[in-house]
Amino acid sequence: MADAVIVVALLLVAVSATAAVAVRDPVRQALVLAVLGVVLAVLFTVLQAPDVALSQLAVGSALTPLLLLLAVHKVKRRGRKEGRHR
Amino acid sequence: MNGWILAATVTLGGGVGATVWGVATGPLGRRVVAQNLCTAFACPALLLLSQGSDRPSYVDLALVLALLGPVGTLVFARLLAEELAEDPPSAWGLTYAAAAVGAVVVLAVCVTVGPSRAMAKLLVVGVLLIGGNLVASRALSGGFPELRRG
Repeated sequence: MADAVIVVALLLVAVSATAAVAVRDPVRQALVLAVLGVVLAVLFTVLQAPDVALSQLAVGSALTPLLLLLAVHKVKRRGRKEGRHR
Repeated sequence: MNGWILAATVTLGGGVGATVWGVATGPLGRRVVAQNLCTAFACPALLLLSQGSDRPSYVDLALVLALLGPVGTLVFARLLAEELAEDPPSAWGLTYAAAAVGAVVVLAVCVTVGPSRAMAKLLVVGVLLIGGNLVASRALSGGFPELRRG
């Protein structure tokens, strides 16, 4: 019974990680990744590793989605520009 | 297992579970709203965990999450402005529900802790959490038109 919170956190991580792989569109994938980062941080906290959770929060909830979205924007803009040249 | 951990488990299973399902399916607008609500439910869960396992230092995690969660949502609101402009996602009922959960949890933990420095920190977390979520929801529903032009 005392491990219920660990089980719930593990299940959440498993479901959101599977969703992150299954979603094909990069923009939507970035959204699922942001949620995965938060859920992973909660799992690390439940497993008594708050320092790991802290860095996971900083990287997972804001930085990774930002990098992904910026990359998607850049690729899209370049695609549009090359389409115009042709 | 005490009541605090049980409450954290319920918040995680119900609130965060629902947002994981919401972010994995449906149109883009719903996914962004679910991502925003994910922080709004995970932060109270962290506070409950910190109280339940009797480790005040875990409150730092909730503080960082309350600070960075809305920042992440604002990143999405800014970079997905074109896609979201046609159908601005607004879920004020859910946003107020999440804010109410946060307020109840912060107040409950505050009452247990009693007046001290830890209570001031908890109040800061609560204000950041609720204020950040309201601002992020407003940005998503197109409340800041200057965000779109950028």
